[in-house]
Amino acid sequence: MYQTVLTTRYLTSRVIPLIAVAAVALCVALVIVVVSVMSGFLNMLQSSGRTLMGDVIITYGISGIPHYDELISHFEKDSTVLSATPIVDGWGLLRMPYPDSEAKQSETVQVWGIEPTSFAKVTSFDEALQWKVPTENQRNWLLLDAITSNEEVLREQMSDTQWNDLVIIVNSASNSMKYETVSLWEDVQKLLDEVQWITLLEYDERLQNPDALLEQGLSLSQNGKAGIVTGLHVSEGNERQKDGTYQVILNDYWWLPRYEGTLTMLPVDSQGGVIEPESIILPFVNEFQSGVFMIDESRVFIPITIAQRLLHLDEAEIVDTDDPTIILGIDPARATSILIRSIKGIAAEELQVRIANMYDEFLASLPSDTLVFPPLRSAPGLTIHTWEEQQRRFTGPVEKERELMRTLFSIVYLVVAALILSIFWSIVFEKTRDIGILRSIGASRGSIVWIFLLYSLVIGIVGSGLGLLLGWFITKNINFIHSAMGNPPLGIAIGAFILTGFIAIYTILNSRRGLMLPIVLGSLGVIACGGVGALILFIRHIGGLVIWDASVYYFSVIPNQVDWPSSLVTVAGAVLFCLLGAVIPAAKAADTDPVKALRHE
Amino acid sequence: MNSNNPIPILEGRHLKKTYHLGGAIVPVLLDASIEVHQGEWVTILGSSGSGKSTVLHLLGGLDRPDEGGGDVLFNGASVWSRSNRKINQYRNHEIGFVFQFYHLLPELSVLENTVLPSMIGGSGLRPSDAKDRGIHLLEQFGLEHRLAHRPRELSGGERQRVAIARALINEPSVLLADEPTGNLDEDTGNEILDVISQLHSDGLSVVLVTHNVEIASRGTKSVHLRHGQLEHPATMA
Repeated sequence: MYQTVLTTRYLTSRVIPLIAVAAVALCVALVIVVVSVMSGFLNMLQSSGRTLMGDVIITYGISGIPHYDELISHFEKDSTVLSATPIVDGWGLLRMPYPDSEAKQSETVQVWGIEPTSFAKVTSFDEALQWKVPTENQRNWLLLDAITSNEEVLREQMSDTQWNDLVIIVNSASNSMKYETVSLWEDVQKLLDEVQWITLLEYDERLQNPDALLEQGLSLSQNGKAGIVTGLHVSEGNERQKDGTYQVILNDYWWLPRYEGTLTMLPVDSQGGVIEPESIILPFVNEFQSGVFMIDESRVFIPITIAQRLLHLDEAEIVDTDDPTIILGIDPARATSILIRSIKGIAAEELQVRIANMYDEFLASLPSDTLVFPPLRSAPGLTIHTWEEQQRRFTGPVEKERELMRTLFSIVYLVVAALILSIFWSIVFEKTRDIGILRSIGASRGSIVWIFLLYSLVIGIVGSGLGLLLGWFITKNINFIHSAMGNPPLGIAIGAFILTGFIAIYTILNSRRGLMLPIVLGSLGVIACGGVGALILFIRHIGGLVIWDASVYYFSVIPNQVDWPSSLVTVAGAVLFCLLGAVIPAAKAADTDPVKALRHE
Repeated sequence: MNSNNPIPILEGRHLKKTYHLGGAIVPVLLDASIEVHQGEWVTILGSSGSGKSTVLHLLGGLDRPDEGGGDVLFNGASVWSRSNRKINQYRNHEIGFVFQFYHLLPELSVLENTVLPSMIGGSGLRPSDAKDRGIHLLEQFGLEHRLAHRPRELSGGERQRVAIARALINEPSVLLADEPTGNLDEDTGNEILDVISQLHSDGLSVVLVTHNVEIASRGTKSVHLRHGQLEHPATMA
């Protein structure tokens, strides 16, 4: 009972326990934040790999897999397969609509020809599309485009005055729309009669039906024509905001779905030689964001039939080499990869084995007079990989990094343990004389150890509890903190300088008394506050800090999910280290002769 | 005052104590014997470093004599052959210790310091009774207005009176005082000695260590510690 009283007094009457609590809390928070971000990073990497490519991927180089439709139907008969989808992939050059001159910029893109419906079943393509409905501003741009494209038709239908009014509206709008929001929509509607207005709206489906924007993206088509969906970082018109959202520069002027692009690809023949490059003009129908920067900056989706045509992987006649007029048969269209997604609860490795078996079954089931066989499973270049194996290029280095971090963090844990141990060692050491007093009035050794056990338990639990809270708070708001660090508000700098002034005045007034502590503390306060203010000004001066650069890491946001299992282990570890840190010196002190302990200064 | 009782309440028999200080062996007590009878006030006189505090520590169960170096008997029963738990009880119940440097716990109030031994020992007193007894003792020593104060807010004399109150809380049989006035000015020291005198005249057995002959004269019996041995010149008064 006396232990409780004494422990309470030890905890409440000194500064040291507060320092110990703060140290434990900071250590715990540090470990929680770093471990959470690190595990979140790996999880994001792994899950994004999965959502972008399904569970198992069959790939066969450049020449592709024929009869892929039958193969997919064969796979989908299996109860463990949710869906499968063919891919034709290759590299291409995409001519962008910008800049505003004849010489346009081109981007190197990784082209994926897909079947949108089945592709969305295997991956989360539908969720990744960036533009759901056009904003007011984007609708204005679409209307402006519709008016300029239909200039001649409108001119015929309009009276001179009406036309002149329209020209004035359109001119003033196109002059100012890059920089401000205008009321183009209302003005034009007022000016036109109903028939003209309907004609205008019918030009672009998205004007009348805002949902068409998403639908076009999902179907990779616009008004029955094939379209292209690009990664959000392919276009230089998209700018990441501090809050992680994206905005199109020049007030949506370079909003990609307004434009068309020219895609050029290089087909190769069966010997690997290059044939004439193939080009196609495709409207940009939408953009997507997978969250993996390396994908978002280079991948584009087009309908699989277009990709097959561009790469000469479409259906073709097989002719006799001696007499090209004799047609021997049909070479079926090919897909370079097939992505397969399993139903829930089936591991990718398990599916991989089943797919391999089914692939063999399929080959065996083909009639013997088939002209073109898919490659044998042993054929060089044919791979059946799980998404993890396929992603090894991305995840391999990160897994190594995680191992490194684990090793480093086991050292950090040791440092934390040593810190806690040394704090408690000094606390108990300082109390040696008290221990002697207690022993001299009859306290047993065990009861003395119990005092410090209680003491450290309270510090450990309060400290690691606060640390958990702090770690959770920082992790949850890490993206906000990151962007605030990147662009710290001027107000904080001003506040810091005002505080600096107050502390300086206070210190100068106090220094007259000649005491050292107020001078030292005041000077430190001035340096700290002034330093914070100066640092903020400096960061603002160099244009902000970017620690998490999306082009270096694969993701555009920092993972902000707390890794609870690791956090709880950390908390338990911190409490344990507190107990150990206190109980060892306490036991040592309790074993000291009371007389020696009493002489302790 | 009754020294005719055949069994001394506290007896040190042929005590030997050697200190090992950084490799050097320093024999402090060679063969020190002392008897304290019920109601006696024995003073141990000796110069600094002669080992008089060591005698007190051995008697009070704070320090152990050398292996085979005699024993301490309380009411005729060996102290140092007891278990650790019994020795803790002995320190807590039977002995009240007063130190030169008070040795109060700085984090506890005056009252809490006073009742601490009863809280440790579970002396059978209920906490509220222990508190009443503590208040009573402090009132007796003129500290009733200081109950909630911390030791650092008290003067040296006041602190020593708190230490005496703490020593008395479990109603010990013997009060062991180690230079209780050594850290006080003469007037304050005399006040403390008056307190001890009063306790002695109320029947408490006292062993007091001092190097001051004048203080030694206030006891009923005085022994000199010389060359590691206690010399018994005469029984006074």
